[in-house]
Amino acid sequence: MADADVTDRTLVNVRAELFGVARMVSGHSHVTLSVPERSYPRDLAVALAYLCPNLVGPVITDDRSGLHSSYTFNITCTSFVGDERVRLTPEDTVLLFSSQAGG
Amino acid sequence: MFGYHGRALVVDLTRQETGWEPLDETVLRRFIGGIGLGTYLLYTHCPPGTDPMSPNNPLIFVCSPLVGSKLTTSSKFAVVTKSPLTGFIGDSLSSSFLATELKNTGCDALIIKGRSSDPTLLSIDDGDVRFLDGSDLLGLTTSETEQAVKQRLGRRTRVACIGPAGEKLVLYASISNDGGRQAGRTGPGAVMGSKNLKAIALRGTDSVPVHNPEAINEIGRDLSRKSLGAATEKYRTLGTIANVSVFNRLGVLPTRNFQQSTFADAEGISGEGFHESNFVKSAHCANCTIGCEKILVTNDGGPRAQGRMEYESAFALGPLVGVGDGNAVIRASHYCDEAGMDTISSGATIAWAMECYEKGLLTREDTGGISLDFGDPDALMAVLGMIAERRGLGDLLAEGSRRASEVVGRGSQDWAMVVKSLEMPGYEPRSLKTMALGLAVATRGACHNRSSAYEADFSNTVDRLKADDKRGGITAQGEDFSAILDSLIWCKFLRKAFDDLYAESATIYEHVTGWPMNADDLRLAGERINNLKKLFNIREGWRPEDDTLPARVLHEKLPTGVAEGTGLTGDELDMMVQSYYRARGWTEDGDIPEDKLRELDLLDLVQEPATATP
Repeated sequence: MADADVTDRTLVNVRAELFGVARMVSGHSHVTLSVPERSYPRDLAVALAYLCPNLVGPVITDDRSGLHSSYTFNITCTSFVGDERVRLTPEDTVLLFSSQAGG
Repeated sequence: MFGYHGRALVVDLTRQETGWEPLDETVLRRFIGGIGLGTYLLYTHCPPGTDPMSPNNPLIFVCSPLVGSKLTTSSKFAVVTKSPLTGFIGDSLSSSFLATELKNTGCDALIIKGRSSDPTLLSIDDGDVRFLDGSDLLGLTTSETEQAVKQRLGRRTRVACIGPAGEKLVLYASISNDGGRQAGRTGPGAVMGSKNLKAIALRGTDSVPVHNPEAINEIGRDLSRKSLGAATEKYRTLGTIANVSVFNRLGVLPTRNFQQSTFADAEGISGEGFHESNFVKSAHCANCTIGCEKILVTNDGGPRAQGRMEYESAFALGPLVGVGDGNAVIRASHYCDEAGMDTISSGATIAWAMECYEKGLLTREDTGGISLDFGDPDALMAVLGMIAERRGLGDLLAEGSRRASEVVGRGSQDWAMVVKSLEMPGYEPRSLKTMALGLAVATRGACHNRSSAYEADFSNTVDRLKADDKRGGITAQGEDFSAILDSLIWCKFLRKAFDDLYAESATIYEHVTGWPMNADDLRLAGERINNLKKLFNIREGWRPEDDTLPARVLHEKLPTGVAEGTGLTGDELDMMVQSYYRARGWTEDGDIPEDKLRELDLLDLVQEPATATP
């Protein structure tokens, strides 16, 4: 079970940039998410679904627990998000794009 | 025999003779089909030291056991020859109806040797071979050639042909089939042109049964269902051009001849932008459920062009030459397809020339009055035409970046962005370190597809900005995985529909052929195929210093974007190359020890001389 501490309740605003289908479906190239400073991917998905409900189904799972496997979150162009919790700061950018590399 | 015919059709254009070469179970199980079988046939049919443009160089079209099974994405074929661009193995893949038609002519492979005295249309109808006059086809574009051959021999005829670039022996000329699909990289179209062979017309009815059709049908339904799911989402929606905006943001989009890795005008040629402004429809290869091809059309009132657009074409004819006008990129890509030229090498060679012009090494006098500036779409189109016709500066650029840089000299070799003389694809190696290694050691030169090493960089398994000695194993595994995809042949875009590619493909292979196969056998076959490619290259003069990257990559840091300041030193690359040799079980000089050859059941090939024909 994941540890809980005070930072779980601290929210941070981060910029989220959307690419590909996520951008086309939502009509947004970027939005601002308010998420826990230490977020699981599901926290990002819930916040994104709140702002862009059209993403639920095509990009975000119907139960809003995460992304479909064909999409991935990336933090500030460097770290790809797995299942683990990530620490976010206001300077971070969350990118959402296809997990299918190459072509 | 199930899944295979067990024979290759050998055509000698010089003597206008044909014959059958048996392919026994031992060979087929060892090398599978596609690229693997093609590598075996090249090794055994190409005499050592053959000039790629000589009659002795075989041009080999190869099917696979899955062709005809109707499994999704399996209608593919390989074209293998000694590359005139690199002097090493040249292997390309293409797809659609031609694959099935080739197999239905009654062979697993078509081996073309010799050289016709006159322009020739080679017609193969159920194994009946005719050498027809092809002089009326000379000068026609690829689509015009295909239509002309169909008018002459019937609509059901499937055609592989070259365009004007292949006739003019542009070293990166492609072979076109089924309405513009291309066997594009490493210059097979130039080899076809050197044989005075303008087109090949195929018709056949000799289909091969599979051993267990019920099982294949059931697997086929499941695979088709998976192919319409999350595993192929990107390819079905925006297609590979979805890469443009993401790569730009991640600082991996090569721009202005790899001087930068971000492009300010990327939006104009992005998948999202094209989809909004130029999208016509998605298209499918035969027996494919994915439909990755995005057909785009110009909309700016200029000359109309409509055709497929892939990421690599958009990158090479866009950011790499500084062009951000989507309509111009569609026109340039369409022109390359019609002329029959590889879009990557075309764009990259022009990018090299643009940098020469920028630095004053080429002048308007050299270019025939063209201001060869980065970002000028008119200059891009003009020079593409000069290359296809080998006119003026185009005659030099038709030789590719490496040879052109040796002629121009004065340091321009440092920005000839090639590995083993093959122009680099659209993946910036300084900010994709696993890909950097994959590009450096690839047997066909700078190739992203034969290792798919970028997969690791676009995941949380490595730090893409830092080099380490784990990349050798990752790259070798990626190469072996790709070799199996390319030999069975599956489309790479289906790869994530498998939970275990080796195990599931082995089961499918057993149901198709009736021959036992397991995951370990297939994994070993992938390793064997990559080692045989390397053996061919060693025989043709490969040296350890060929496994490297262009000077720019090793001496200049990236100046823009999130990867600003990132570089790759020669020592870092050497460390990764050594880790790759170790993972392969090779010597530190990159040679294959005899024990490894024995382990891979390749020793007999090394000890047998290649067939000295025709």
